[in-house]
Amino acid sequence: MTEYKMFEGCTIGNRIPFIEAASRKVFEKVGIDTSQAAFSCCPDPTGMKSFDNDAWLAVGARNLCLAEAEGKDIISLCNGCTNTLRGVKHQLKHDSLKKDKVNKELSKIGKEFKGSVDVKHFVDVLKENLDKVKAAISKPLSGLKVACHPGCHYMRPAEWMESDDPMRPKNLKELVAACGATVVDYEEEVLCCGSAITNAYEDYGLANLKTKLDSIKKAGADVICVNCPACFQQFDTQQRDLSKKYETEYAIPVLYLTELYALAMGYSPDDIGLKFHRTRMKSEL
Amino acid sequence: MTIDFEFRKQVMDYHVGSDLIKYCYQCSRCTDNCPISAVTIDFYSTGGYNPRANILKALLGYKDLIFDADPLAIWGCTVCDTCDEVCPQHIELTEIFTFLKNRSVEQGKAPEFIYGQAKAIFESAKAIPSQPAIERRREQLGLPAVVAPDVNELQTLLKNLGADKKLK
Repeated sequence: MTEYKMFEGCTIGNRIPFIEAASRKVFEKVGIDTSQAAFSCCPDPTGMKSFDNDAWLAVGARNLCLAEAEGKDIISLCNGCTNTLRGVKHQLKHDSLKKDKVNKELSKIGKEFKGSVDVKHFVDVLKENLDKVKAAISKPLSGLKVACHPGCHYMRPAEWMESDDPMRPKNLKELVAACGATVVDYEEEVLCCGSAITNAYEDYGLANLKTKLDSIKKAGADVICVNCPACFQQFDTQQRDLSKKYETEYAIPVLYLTELYALAMGYSPDDIGLKFHRTRMKSEL
Repeated sequence: MTIDFEFRKQVMDYHVGSDLIKYCYQCSRCTDNCPISAVTIDFYSTGGYNPRANILKALLGYKDLIFDADPLAIWGCTVCDTCDEVCPQHIELTEIFTFLKNRSVEQGKAPEFIYGQAKAIFESAKAIPSQPAIERRREQLGLPAVVAPDVNELQTLLKNLGADKKLK
């Protein structure tokens, strides 16, 4: 069986580990094997790349070297990490000058980037194992209305993400439907959560979030399903501030795809730490 | 308003898709689809975040016009890559914006968050450093400890690239 190197990323590993707990439980049920490595920050495709593109390439390539040393592909729990690691590989593959520059630096720490391992988003790995996922569902979430938000970096830029249609994504919807829930379509499905802009300009970030959540509310969704920790945090932690700012109630619970699956596979909310969510779950779950 | 030919050349060279950027015909699909343009500009304003205007200024070499403006003009980008997908000329706008942001960082004009995250990565090899409370929570959840990254190795890499000098 294929064993992947687990790339949980800074946000999940060091801030919201309950998502890693749900993910590991689901991987176990589906038969996806993982092992750890001493990965650093990916680093962030919105922050560190904007800070210094060459530093972003070098740090990303170093992470890829760690997986290459074991000859194992990476499974990432985060859109940003997947985007960075795939993006670094893409840039170095198509720009030999940059590759030479990065490898010159890596040689000083005894490493060389070859480009020999693949980087997979966990959504894509679950999709490859859809039959096993379906077989592991013991408590279908019938009647639960779910708005899907795959997030920008899961499918864009299409040139190097190669995962889904960049403007009409369907993978997450297909996976949510597999656990018996009802997917509700909404107008602003491919709109960014605004996590990156909120870090620098909170007012504009919240204005964008309002557009997104108004559209989700209008569709009558019970929960929002995501597959990225940055999007998760944006929805989970900002709804209270948004409610205050616009004097309207926003309190739609947010579930990671693997949390939704863990519930449908028979785990209790306590098993996967749902109590650590900021936007409280409603009783029907 | 001066034209900086060296800057213009750098922009052209930065575009991986070769000289496609020269053929931007300012159709404005990027700005029309940009979520931040939608919340920062109205039809008549010249401020806010406008990807179409950024490409035009970069293409013409109007360096001062770009970097002397309100930083929002560059840093309003939320890196959603929507413009890249809707551009009829397949211009990789976000890559050009990365170039502009990198230069803005060197001039000390980026938002504090950008310097803060880079500093955290330099000091701890993680954008979000490990904390005792979360380590305990991981244990309660039955998770293995996060394997500590080699901070020295990362610092060597970043110092040799001169990235540490850009920190605040």
